[in-house]
Amino acid sequence: MPLSILIWLPAAAALLGALAPRRGSYPLTGWFAFAGSVGALGITIGEIAGFDPGHSGLTHVTDQLWIAGLGIHYKLGLDGLNLFLVALTAVVSALAIGAANRRRWERPRLFFLYLGLAESAVLGALMAQDLILFVAFFDLMLIPFYFLTGQWGEENRVAATTKLVIYTLVGSLLMLAAAIATGVLVSTNTAHPLSFALSDLQNAGGIGAGAGLSAGSQEWIFLLFAAAFLVKMPAFPLHGWMPDGYRAMPLEALAIFSGVLSKVGAYGFLRIVLPLFPQASVHFQTLMLVIALASILYGSVMAFTQTNTRLILGYSSVAQLGFITLGIFALQPQGAQGAVLQMVNHGLVTLALFLIVGLLAARAAGSVDLRDMGGLALRAPVLSAIFLIVALATLAMPGSSNFVGEFLILLGVFRSKLAIAIVAFTGVVLASVYMLRTLIRAMHNRLGTRAESREIALADALALVPSTLVILGLSFYPQLVLHRSERSTAAAIAAARATAQPSQTARAPLAGASAPQPARTSTLGAGATHSGATR
Amino acid sequence: MLRSYLPALVFLLLGGVVGLAFALLNHRLGPHRRVAHKQDPYECGLPSEVRRGFRFGISFYLVAMLFILFDIEVIFLYPVAVRVRAFGAFALYETIVFIVLLAVAFVYVWRRGALEWR
Amino acid sequence: MSVALAAARLHGPHIDWGGLSPILALLGGAVVVLLVGLAPRREVRRLVASGLALVAFAAALGCTIWQWDASKSIVSGALRVDDLALAVNLILVSAGAATVLLSWRARASGEAGHGEFYALVLTSTAGMSVLVAAQNTVSLFLGIELLSIPLYVLCATELHRSPSLESGLKYLVIGSVGSATLLYGLAMIYGATGSTDFDAIASAIASGGLASDPLLLTGIALVVVGLAFKSSVAPFHQWTPDVYEGAPTPITTFMAVATKAAALGIFLRFFDVALVSAQVSWAPALAALATISIVVGNVGALGQSSLKRLLAYSAVAQAGYLLAGVVVSTRAGARATVFYLAVYLLMNLAAFAVVVARERETGLGDDIAAVEGLGASRPWLAWPMTIAMLSLAGIPATAGFVGKLFLIQASADGGYTWLGVVIVVGSMVSLAYYLRVVAAMWMRPGPSLGATEAASPYPAIAGGSPEADPDAIGTSTPAAPPAGDGGPGAGAREGFQPEVVGLALAAGAATVFFGIVPSPLVDLARAAGNSLLGLF
Repeated sequence: MPLSILIWLPAAAALLGALAPRRGSYPLTGWFAFAGSVGALGITIGEIAGFDPGHSGLTHVTDQLWIAGLGIHYKLGLDGLNLFLVALTAVVSALAIGAANRRRWERPRLFFLYLGLAESAVLGALMAQDLILFVAFFDLMLIPFYFLTGQWGEENRVAATTKLVIYTLVGSLLMLAAAIATGVLVSTNTAHPLSFALSDLQNAGGIGAGAGLSAGSQEWIFLLFAAAFLVKMPAFPLHGWMPDGYRAMPLEALAIFSGVLSKVGAYGFLRIVLPLFPQASVHFQTLMLVIALASILYGSVMAFTQTNTRLILGYSSVAQLGFITLGIFALQPQGAQGAVLQMVNHGLVTLALFLIVGLLAARAAGSVDLRDMGGLALRAPVLSAIFLIVALATLAMPGSSNFVGEFLILLGVFRSKLAIAIVAFTGVVLASVYMLRTLIRAMHNRLGTRAESREIALADALALVPSTLVILGLSFYPQLVLHRSERSTAAAIAAARATAQPSQTARAPLAGASAPQPARTSTLGAGATHSGATR
Repeated sequence: MLRSYLPALVFLLLGGVVGLAFALLNHRLGPHRRVAHKQDPYECGLPSEVRRGFRFGISFYLVAMLFILFDIEVIFLYPVAVRVRAFGAFALYETIVFIVLLAVAFVYVWRRGALEWR
Repeated sequence: MSVALAAARLHGPHIDWGGLSPILALLGGAVVVLLVGLAPRREVRRLVASGLALVAFAAALGCTIWQWDASKSIVSGALRVDDLALAVNLILVSAGAATVLLSWRARASGEAGHGEFYALVLTSTAGMSVLVAAQNTVSLFLGIELLSIPLYVLCATELHRSPSLESGLKYLVIGSVGSATLLYGLAMIYGATGSTDFDAIASAIASGGLASDPLLLTGIALVVVGLAFKSSVAPFHQWTPDVYEGAPTPITTFMAVATKAAALGIFLRFFDVALVSAQVSWAPALAALATISIVVGNVGALGQSSLKRLLAYSAVAQAGYLLAGVVVSTRAGARATVFYLAVYLLMNLAAFAVVVARERETGLGDDIAAVEGLGASRPWLAWPMTIAMLSLAGIPATAGFVGKLFLIQASADGGYTWLGVVIVVGSMVSLAYYLRVVAAMWMRPGPSLGATEAASPYPAIAGGSPEADPDAIGTSTPAAPPAGDGGPGAGAREGFQPEVVGLALAAGAATVFFGIVPSPLVDLARAAGNSLLGLF
């Protein structure tokens, strides 16, 4: 099945829905968009089932020259690195679009068209195997959210959405300049024809060996890429857009934004930065680890002080993505694998949490403030139980998939930077503090003055229960992700590892899609249990 | 190289000196009689009735300009007329095109009322 | 001897009618349209004159396509017909045709007389065609004047609106200064190299080692200044916002798109053919100008509340982007500039068409308030405007993104990576004001229904707006529709305008299409870039 179908199915379905006739007074667009994203989900499940964990390199490659004069390819591919992020996108989008159908929107055709476009753009960014194509999708996925926030958001939406777009587009435009510079410099230095396909950039120039790009070029290019990705996540000093954006965005869109879009930044590090700029990655490793650590601590502390549930989740995302960055820049196979798993975990719990926030707000007279909630568990045992499960997953309770992810991440960091790992542990503790505080203040305590405890409606549960089930399923069987992503993550960090530890070069050959990977740098195989992994 | 400009310089100097000399001599040697008519622009003919603030009508300029345009353009026809045999048919076509263009301009000017005296 | 001369049979020069055909179509169209403008009935004048102007543009377009892939010098080497000239010609002629469509209901064409108005547009376009084909400093100057003089008049065609007259006068004065500077510079270059022909200038510079000759450099500097005036490159841009704002909006469109294309076309040919061996001398200066232009344009646009002024400053910034392709003087650079010019045509046509439509619908003039709430009330106008703004800002899936890609790649490839970064930084700043327009359209409530029916709810804006009291002047003009209910702005009202909306939609759709499938435009631009034979 060509990946183009997977990418464009949601947008095409939403477009069809926007053009479809209305039934009664309200158009059916939402259900068209839902059908499209469910279709994408179906395709993805098929891909996961058919994925061969022993296969390394890309599968289902689509490669066409897009802009001939510039050597820009329309190249898509699926491997263990993006497979589960694609699946996460499909799950989160399908459930969020489904949940959005519960509400009546003004101008629904446009609303669902934007949601469909957003899903397509994210899928495109995840599967793009060309530097410029990636940047294009990366920029493109922001535009629907600009309109979603600006038109259907809460108060102060215009200011918030402008801030959001300017922050993130500033980052990604810098990335565009850096991407073009990469292609041009590699083609100049190696006398290869200009091409932006990732495989060409890696193989032709032998960037891994530092032939394609000098260390100096790598460094400034790295910084521009990192800025774009860190803004998107967001990471600590670059998160200025986050509070306003999270306050203003409609919840269903926010679930996709927080659940999926923020992961694309982290994914970009693994897909692009580490393989293409290994020397710079090693050079800036400490800086990135410190930023990640700062994000963890800052996010956790801020999440603890907020009473707005949207912001609690926003700051918790800052902290969680700090963990993911930490795992990536540990430059250890365990860390990178943990990061991939944690991306999936965090996307799933974020979706569930934002859906729950929507339900809680409906019971607290529309307020998302913790002070207006309280005691909501009284007549809602099912809702309460779901919230408990999701909250425990979020705080990485042993037994949950998040625990495996965080454990692997910390294991990786232990191996490379002990001191940072020790500080990072406090983040794990802080997560349980703010999550439990939120749970208790919303669901227990005294009933809020304007709040009213009500059990979850069946239709709402249709969106919430599947996401909870996926979280539970992944907790029982995280190897689903770990197995299939093992080789690809190892390949992603191989070049950087080789630079960091030249002695290991022989054992961990340079990254290259064509070169089969005999390396078993990770011992996380079939025998790993979810209580941990040891070498 | 600059030497070749020397005669010009001498010429300029001479011209200035001679002119100045005549003016000075005239001033020195000539008789001085102050009569009112001496102050007029012309010493013969009728006194001018046009006052200083007088402005020509805009139509004057328009017609003058049009006259100059058409007049000068017609000048181009003379050389062709003289040599039309040598140039052959090509010159004839060119001339016809040229005249057609002039005619268009003329028709335009005429129909837009630029030739009416207002 | 005179006998021998008289006996000799003189032959007329060889005339390449094919190469001249686009220019002839335009000029012939101008003559015919001028005569049609004399028809006694007003409706005949309006319909037939604009119709014939469109026919002339279509004929010029056809001739240009017919000549595609030609590579020849015509008129004794004064003009060069190659893919660069033809590609820019396509842009110019399309812009001219679009201007005719936009002017169809404009008050300007009525007040100035339909025949004269369209004839001036055609003449100006012919001047641009001459300019981009010029390979001789004399034909260069001829082209510049032939394009400028009609434009001075066109700016002032809303005879009863003082800002229009003011803009015409301003443009005349500034434009004359620019022309004079240019002419002075050309004279100095002639003095230094002893030739007016581009190729001869190039070989004189190369063989005579003139690249650092003070006379030549002074000449180049003056030419740069003169052309910078014409293409509104900062710091020679001060006239642009005022003139763009004052001129009738269809003419603003024409100036923004066509003049820029022609000026950049001659920038490419003059600097990359005639002065290519002195590139080390002028490239840093042009790069500095480009940077200043990007900064000044983008910063200047931030605080504008008039859409036309905003687009004027945006045009200044875009001129800076476009110059980047000239600076590097490579084929990739020429290709990038031509590609961006084509894209620029589409984006600006979409944006200006919407401004034109809203000006006539709302009576709010070109204030940003005129597009507020457009997404809800007139989505078919809001979409093209949105696409245009996103494309100008360089968002993916629009042609503007691909255009910027080409420009940045050309800069990086030509050793001016920092200029590429400047382009990117400029795009970031530009987001702030382009998105403001988008936000106004989609995220703000529209003016209340009464506003579009009767008196404007924006007294401050309406009072200061040139449209404030159109029926006072409307009654005195033959073409303005009779004032309806007598309320302020009533004379400016128009109902459905299919040609304007259609143009906006077509341009917007093309912007998206070429953003996703850029290859047709890339081929066009590549052919144009490759026709500059001296470059690599």
